Amino acid sequence: MNPKKKSFSYAKYGYLFSIPFIIVFLIFTFYPTIYTAVLGFTDSQGLGNINFNFLENPLDNFRVVLANQSFLNALWNTILIWVLNFIPQLGLALLLTAWFTSRRSKLRGVGLFKVVFYMPNIITAASVAILFSALFGHPIGPINSLLQMLGHDPYNFLNNPWASRLILIFIQFWMWYGYTMIILVAGALGISPDLYEAAEIDGATGVQSFFRITLPNLKMVMLFVLVTSLIGGLNVFDVPRLFNWGGPNAATTTVAVFIFNWAFTNRYMYGLAAAASMVLFVIVAVISAGIFFLLRDQDAARERKEQKRLRKLHKTNQNREVQKP
Amino acid sequence: MKKILCLCLAVLLLVGLVACGNGGDTDTTPAPDTGETTTETTPEPEPEPVEPTGDQQVLNVWSFTDEFYTMLNRFFELNPELAERYVVNYTEISTTDGAYQPALDMALAGGGADAPDIWLAESAFVLKYSQGEASHFAATYADLGIDVASAIAAADIAGYTVDIGTRPSDNQVVALGFQATGGAFIYRRSIAESVFGTDDPVAVASEIGPGWDRFWEAAETLGDAGYAIVSGDGDLWHPVRGASPRGWIDEDGYLYIDPSREAFLDMSMRLMENGWHNDTEDWSDSWFADFRGEGAREVFGFFGPAWLVNYVLGPNAGPTYGDWGVAVPPEGFFWGGTWVFANRDTPHTDVVRQIIEWVTLDATTTGLQYEWANGILLGTKDVVASGVVMDISDGRVDILDGQDMFDVFIPANDYARADNMTEFDESINLIWRDRVRQFTGGHMTRDEALESFRQAVADELFIFSR
Amino acid sequence: MNKALLGRATFKTVAYFICIALVALSLFPFIIMIINATRSTPEIQQNAISLIPSTNFATNMDVLTGRMFDPLRGIFNSLVISTSATLLTVYFSTLTAFALVAYNWRMRQPFFTLIMVVMMIPAQVSSIGFFQFMFRIGWTNNFLPLIIPAVAAPMAVFFLRQYMLGALSMELLEAARIDGSSEIRIFNQIVIPIMKPAMATQAIFAFVASWNNLFIPSILLTRSDMMTLPIMVSLLRGDAYRVELGAVYLGLALAVLPLLITYFIFSKYIVAGVALGGVKG
Repeated sequence: MNPKKKSFSYAKYGYLFSIPFIIVFLIFTFYPTIYTAVLGFTDSQGLGNINFNFLENPLDNFRVVLANQSFLNALWNTILIWVLNFIPQLGLALLLTAWFTSRRSKLRGVGLFKVVFYMPNIITAASVAILFSALFGHPIGPINSLLQMLGHDPYNFLNNPWASRLILIFIQFWMWYGYTMIILVAGALGISPDLYEAAEIDGATGVQSFFRITLPNLKMVMLFVLVTSLIGGLNVFDVPRLFNWGGPNAATTTVAVFIFNWAFTNRYMYGLAAAASMVLFVIVAVISAGIFFLLRDQDAARERKEQKRLRKLHKTNQNREVQKP
Repeated sequence: MKKILCLCLAVLLLVGLVACGNGGDTDTTPAPDTGETTTETTPEPEPEPVEPTGDQQVLNVWSFTDEFYTMLNRFFELNPELAERYVVNYTEISTTDGAYQPALDMALAGGGADAPDIWLAESAFVLKYSQGEASHFAATYADLGIDVASAIAAADIAGYTVDIGTRPSDNQVVALGFQATGGAFIYRRSIAESVFGTDDPVAVASEIGPGWDRFWEAAETLGDAGYAIVSGDGDLWHPVRGASPRGWIDEDGYLYIDPSREAFLDMSMRLMENGWHNDTEDWSDSWFADFRGEGAREVFGFFGPAWLVNYVLGPNAGPTYGDWGVAVPPEGFFWGGTWVFANRDTPHTDVVRQIIEWVTLDATTTGLQYEWANGILLGTKDVVASGVVMDISDGRVDILDGQDMFDVFIPANDYARADNMTEFDESINLIWRDRVRQFTGGHMTRDEALESFRQAVADELFIFSR
Repeated sequence: MNKALLGRATFKTVAYFICIALVALSLFPFIIMIINATRSTPEIQQNAISLIPSTNFATNMDVLTGRMFDPLRGIFNSLVISTSATLLTVYFSTLTAFALVAYNWRMRQPFFTLIMVVMMIPAQVSSIGFFQFMFRIGWTNNFLPLIIPAVAAPMAVFFLRQYMLGALSMELLEAARIDGSSEIRIFNQIVIPIMKPAMATQAIFAFVASWNNLFIPSILLTRSDMMTLPIMVSLLRGDAYRVELGAVYLGLALAVLPLLITYFIFSKYIVAGVALGGVKG
């Protein structure tokens, strides 16, 4: 390759290496998404009906969506279910990360634990949903048998809105804490051992080094965990739909389930469903932007530093090449 | 530890694969007779290669079970000359994960060579394809070349199945079924004997009916003797829904709660307050346990059609096998059933017509319905749509202690009505049953349950209350 | 000293107790699945959860293999789809992350923002457009719509970028350039080995997601010889009153085995931990 050309055109590789992603993205994600977004402004409805008109007032669908009590209830459920499962999930994952990466705890079988804790995430949502409905069966079921052994009457958990919601929250927690832990452990093991050694010399306890070294250095990975969990959590679909069919009293109906019902059952209201998806999308985007803003410092600073270094290297490189005979 | 785990799994997988391989090599191996249960599985023939050879043409058939596949194989066995010309591409998608309808809808809307030539729909959603949102995809039976009116009369097809399959826009038949699913009360003979002093179906029918007043008297008598009359309130819902004079939507498109359906709130509460049921939900573990008599209280009976006897009670009866009878219910109803549709764009009109005629309208002993009714095809007897076939069929089964179940189920078809169904019933019923349970479970007042029901129907289906 | 020892002992007891409880919680569904694979449908219908195996394994196997589809074929189809999708996701996501980290191009930040935005689009409804598109171009009963989109996996790119920012040193790239390596060679021979642990994690996630994907394949793949194993298992559930639960659980167990094996193969990266190039403090 011509060294001279190479010296000033590295940027083109940025474009070049992104091309496969961009092409596939444009065809398989961007086009269907835009198609859907456009539908949000139309009266598209009805199975197999490809004729639709733009609404006279383009925001009509959004007005209907935002005035729909059941939609708002589903939105509330979704946020509740995510927040209440994510906090303990992150807490436990952090605790396990601290234990498994600590140089002092010296637990045995850490490798096994790490592998096994992710396993609930492997099972299909349908199996998980069936399993838990069976566990809480009424009046005969494993949990109710246990209650009866303890001298209580069987309780119909699946008919109690809060009990059902809590079970769903537990399912989400149980399915995802291992996933979160794996990611956090991967991040924590990347932290330079020098830092811990220095802290030990200074006489820091295990707890102190976790809060002073591990946590701050996990910020970037936490950003990933938070944002992806938020996105996954607010779009959660399979388990709520199959666990108790969104009931009782719509307590486990999430936005994605609600939107699916609008779009793919009964009246096939594509236009409204598309508008509702856009509403959900805006909510996710706003919260994610907030998270990015809160965790921005280090990320941005690192990037700036990286860029600076890159430019510097670039410069020296050029100089070197110029000097080449 | 991890290595051991790995090894165990690998061995398991290997065993699984070997077993699969064997299953593929040997011909059909019948399920071993487990003694106390009837044959629950009939081995299916080996899958035919789907690639058409020579000038064979592909027939696309969509269903949610493999029942129809068995029928098609039988059809082509009886018509070898057609078997040479056509090869079936059978698409089966289960309804339990909710994927059947979206997939079928996409395929119908997509059209082209992969579009279904024949598809099946279940009673829960059949109206969508025969009268509602997707009815324009169906060919009328007349267009296929069937002389429908006279064929229906000749075979004496159960009226409600015709009503369901008739498209209102042109008043043409677009679907018919092979089953008839009129319902009865299926009761435990030993309990009838000890509480009412008789296990005779006619006598039991007069203890629990006609009408709900008699039913409640029986519930009390049974309750005093320590029995539950039904397993859960869902069992009662089927006759209440079926006997209701009007459906969920009135002529102007508004939500209509028929007084008989609203009364279900109170009926359900009555069962709950008096402890006359085990408070199970249909299809749950507890509900199935009640077939064996292993619930909190022994359950007197279930409301259901002939398929409930065959497919659900049969394999689940356990120690109660042979201790059952069927009696006329307090109110008539039907539950379930499958309807057969043809695509208006199918290029294979001829063979499609022959299949549909053989399945839905052939009342001879070589027709599908005769073989279906008498257990020739599946090993289990069932009620079929043709009255002519029923007249020449024998419905005596062991599980009912030799009672001829057709004596009760055939007249039951006359009480079945389709004019109280709507294409949105699947969703509306789900919401209604949920709110009723909220009321009986003490989480809502009666008014709150009604209000919440109306709100949810309006929000989800845009069917408003007046 | 004694007190510290006591503290350590308490800590260890608590930690082991929690970990062992979590292990039990994690393994329990697998045990239920395997035990139910040996039980008959009525047995399961009456007690879905039991720790006592029964004797119906052979019958269940007959039911599973006696249907109009072939589970071996299902495993093969699933393997083809999931393996291809995983390879594409891992390779191209790393490449895209490399483009985002190693090069300073003008559209870099907008492109990253775009990836983040894409990640947030609710999948349930953009599937309306996706299905209609696939039907229009005739990509039904074709593995491609399940494989090709794996090239653009925003979440994987996001993770790999976050990881690469810490793990990849620019000096290393520079050194390779001086040696005269082309950029794509640098990527394949230097970057990929460094990224292996993160790629393995993403490979697990991608494989699991692709393998368990049911909704899209069940709508696009309708020919019985094209179906994936999870679709076949869901067929066994048929409709509520004709269900073969024993065979369903056997099918579920079979369907999860290849996943577990893949997982255990890649899990050495999870166990061994990730030796990063050192995230600076």
